[in-house]
Amino acid sequence: MASSRAPVDDPALRERFERDVLPLLPNLYSAALRLTRNPADAEDLVQEAYLRAYRGFSGFQEGTNLRAWMYRILTNTFINSYRKKQRQPQTVSDEDIEDWYLYDRLGESAAEASAETSVLERIPDEDVQKALEALPEQFRMAVWLADVEGFSYKEIAEILDVPIGTVMSRLHRGRKSLQKALWETVRERGLVRD
Amino acid sequence: MDLSEIDCQEVLRRLELYLDGELDGGLCIDIEEHLVTCGTCTGHSDFQRRLKEILRAKCGCHEVPSQVLQRVRVVIERETPQT
Repeated sequence: MASSRAPVDDPALRERFERDVLPLLPNLYSAALRLTRNPADAEDLVQEAYLRAYRGFSGFQEGTNLRAWMYRILTNTFINSYRKKQRQPQTVSDEDIEDWYLYDRLGESAAEASAETSVLERIPDEDVQKALEALPEQFRMAVWLADVEGFSYKEIAEILDVPIGTVMSRLHRGRKSLQKALWETVRERGLVRD
Repeated sequence: MDLSEIDCQEVLRRLELYLDGELDGGLCIDIEEHLVTCGTCTGHSDFQRRLKEILRAKCGCHEVPSQVLQRVRVVIERETPQT
């Protein structure tokens, strides 16, 4: 097909892309779901990110961090193309959320030892996903990249193009907000005594 | 008696970095030594670790709908010149 864009005409490059980048699809799709919060937009986002990645793949340095490179493309694509049409969660103030918000509350209402963690396990998957999705975007991305995807602070800084100190601050604040949201879920679900 | 060099306040303050694997070796050892002797900090640490694990387990990989893989394959096909 005729195209004004630089096509990928190196068979080895295509082979490498299919071997190394395609297997990341399940992770990238669930990441896209967390970012867009709906399956239709997540599909579009993943497709667009793969298109950009494929077109730019000849510029990728083999041996450098492919996962981080791909996540950076995904988050940039999201920020540039999709975020505008998304309804953002209201920015919530996290200043009044103390450290160990959830742990302390679960501890107070728990009947037996280590009940705090067993309550966590009983929260339905969907509720945990909703709590993460309800975080303001900057917090959500940091928490998701660190805790769900297991990236290091340095990698997250590269993916989001912010200093490491900013990553640390967003993570800390995001986790506090998440704990507060999970506490509300736990109470709504009646998983603890009031 | 707690013989490790850092106290609970210091451990709790650094726990997030410790569990994220972002603390350097010496501090990690201090925290690990403290956790062995301190039930309070171990409770906090176990909880925080479990919270990370649960987030990963509950928000991680989703099954990819077949049409998503199909759409990505179409992109690759379209961008590759036919010979």
